Amino acid sequence: MDRATEQQIPGNRPSAFGKIKIAGKKDGTITAWQSDTWATGGFAGGGQPPLPYVYTNIPNTRLNHVSVSVNAGPAQAWRAPNNQQASFLTCSAIEDFAAKVGVDPMVVFNKNADYTPRAEQYRYQLQKAAEISEWSKLWKPRGSQTGPVRRGLGIGVNAWGGAGHACTARTTINPDGSVLLEMGTQDLGTGTRTIMTQVAAETLGLQMSQIKLAIGDNSLPPGGSSGGSTTVGGASSATRKSGVNALAKLFEAVAPALNVQPEDLEAVDGTVRVKADTKKSMTWVAACKKIGPGGKISETGANEQRNPMGLNSGGAAGVQVADVSVDTETGLVKINRYVAVQDCGLIINPRLAESQIYGAIIMGISTALYEERIMDDATGRMMNSDMEFYKLAGIKDIGDIVVHLDIREVNDKRGVIGLGEPPAVGICAAVGNAVANAIGVRVPKMPMTPMHVLDALEGRNA
Amino acid sequence: MQSFAYANPATVQEALALLAPTWGEADVLAGGTDLLSLMKEHLHTPKRVVNIKNIKELEGIQKTADGIRIGALVTMDELAKNADIKAAAKSLSDAAAAIPSPQIRHMGTVGGDLCQRPRCWYYRQGFGLLAMKDGKSLVPDGANQYHAIFGGGPAYFVSPSSLGPALVALGAKIKLVSAKGPREVAAASFFLVPQNDTSREIALHPDEILTEIVVPAGAVRSSTYEVRQKEALDWPLATASVVLHMRGNVVASAKVVMGHVAAKPWDSADAAKAIAGKAITAETAEAAGKAAVAGAQPLSQNAYKVTLARVAVKRALLEAAKQKA
Repeated sequence: MDRATEQQIPGNRPSAFGKIKIAGKKDGTITAWQSDTWATGGFAGGGQPPLPYVYTNIPNTRLNHVSVSVNAGPAQAWRAPNNQQASFLTCSAIEDFAAKVGVDPMVVFNKNADYTPRAEQYRYQLQKAAEISEWSKLWKPRGSQTGPVRRGLGIGVNAWGGAGHACTARTTINPDGSVLLEMGTQDLGTGTRTIMTQVAAETLGLQMSQIKLAIGDNSLPPGGSSGGSTTVGGASSATRKSGVNALAKLFEAVAPALNVQPEDLEAVDGTVRVKADTKKSMTWVAACKKIGPGGKISETGANEQRNPMGLNSGGAAGVQVADVSVDTETGLVKINRYVAVQDCGLIINPRLAESQIYGAIIMGISTALYEERIMDDATGRMMNSDMEFYKLAGIKDIGDIVVHLDIREVNDKRGVIGLGEPPAVGICAAVGNAVANAIGVRVPKMPMTPMHVLDALEGRNA
Repeated sequence: MQSFAYANPATVQEALALLAPTWGEADVLAGGTDLLSLMKEHLHTPKRVVNIKNIKELEGIQKTADGIRIGALVTMDELAKNADIKAAAKSLSDAAAAIPSPQIRHMGTVGGDLCQRPRCWYYRQGFGLLAMKDGKSLVPDGANQYHAIFGGGPAYFVSPSSLGPALVALGAKIKLVSAKGPREVAAASFFLVPQNDTSREIALHPDEILTEIVVPAGAVRSSTYEVRQKEALDWPLATASVVLHMRGNVVASAKVVMGHVAAKPWDSADAAKAIAGKAITAETAEAAGKAAVAGAQPLSQNAYKVTLARVAVKRALLEAAKQKA
């Protein structure tokens, strides 16, 4: 398949349109929500955005939703389907409410955080995002600027499940000290190989270079599908459990030689040693020889979705701030800086986690400014399916991206939570709010192209 | 892609002998940034591809008695960096430098920029140059956000040439040669508005090769301003090239030509008239911009391009005014 065909046939991101009314007090407290939304998941329906988003416990809500079937391909996952739309609709409405009552939106998002499932988390993250984005210095009330190029700041929030999927890992320890870790999973480029090897090495007290990893084969113990940001939680937990199980067998083989019980042993820094007397130890290789020639230890460990045993859980949260400049004469939106504060429970590898967030933001900025399936009513064709017309953000279009991982003990204790989708959710929301803040007018359509921005500025939004 | 014969002539005369009197027989290959896409999409299915990259006489930029001669094989990168062009025709230098991506600037040639086919997505998807269906164009009620705001049809595509507006504004000449001999056309006459699907949008005949461009010498201030959404790999939404003959601080005469707004570079005599006899200020530049788009006929989705063209004219004038005479 060439790129154009690939774009034409696999289905669409669900689209949504909404009208939202918010009632509230002059101090920025929200007291009621009413939304009328229409969304399509193609011919099969679906695509309903979960509203109100994150601020789920707003009292006095009325939600009307119509699912629209259209003659187009089915709804497909696009890094947080329905959530992007929900975040854009909700955060736009909150920002518009804040502008209407003349209160700083950072204050309004904060003041109403009790309506979110984790108020402390969002408050902390709003504060952090404000600090990093220099909100108090750079933010100006909506529409208060003059001159052709105006700067604006806007907020977007995200939430996601991300609990680990069901999967099984197998750890094999050989008498020569070599270790094989196996799972029939795949690495989408998100670092699954790295985190599995890292967890196994830490569990066995070895270097990562001492673990041989095999994935991507149906004959291996079953992995899960990569979807819903559930891979890291499942793969890391199953790896951990199979490692612990294999190590217990190794301790049984080694304990008599050290004259202790198996449970008295630990594996640290390439040795197997007695916890209470760490000088009583054997090297890893010497310990593995106790397995005996021709033998091997091979143990599986499974992650069960309903009983993750504290190794993983769900519920990532994030707050992002877009800092944009809008040329009001041309409608061009440029990203100055994009700040992302994100938690995802216990972070196994901060560099990989940061990298996930950078990727999500680049993709999200592309969504917010450029990407669009342009359909022709007359022919029913997608007009921009090739890479000449389907616009994607390039390196000079994305601005300065600042990622802050919300690493705190309170989050570590929640176990591993998936990160693939959540940081991609709030970007249309943050960019849309920043544009509204800069130019004083809500641009009601995504992406924020010169056409949509000028149409809004010049009153062509019939 | 359909099979084809490949020829590698070393001289213009050899190349001309390989061309045919009708379109569809042979295509000329230079940088290949457009022809290869056209062939892959079966929009061009030449029986023979004539590679002209080995023809030395088509290279180079030289000052001559008539002005500056630019060979058809000069790349956009060479053109953008050439000091003589920067000094005498900054608008042309600006236009070449603005073409996104170093790859395109290094491969794409001056001749190719002028002879490339429109990027109209109806044309590129096989609906024909004018996208006609049942005697009516699909464009006015279709996906027309990037289409023409001048001309009123039936050609609603926009001329894709990056250099066209600057060359028209500068009064450049384009040299074409066939087996019968050379001819010269003004840049303004090189671009045509086709009235049917079988005619072409440029004056080049199928048995001709574009050999060079001559930019006239003269003390002018010039500038090209381009509105493009993305920094890299994107087409302009609207551009303006202006050339000013100054008398002190006052514009003696001007040329204002907009790009990507019509099937050919769109020369606005009204804008030129609006600025003539005046000093360039924010107000006079704005007035010229308004005059430039007074006759615009936007389609259902592209009213925003009227604003972009107006702003491009204003900003190009303000930019040109900053230059030393």
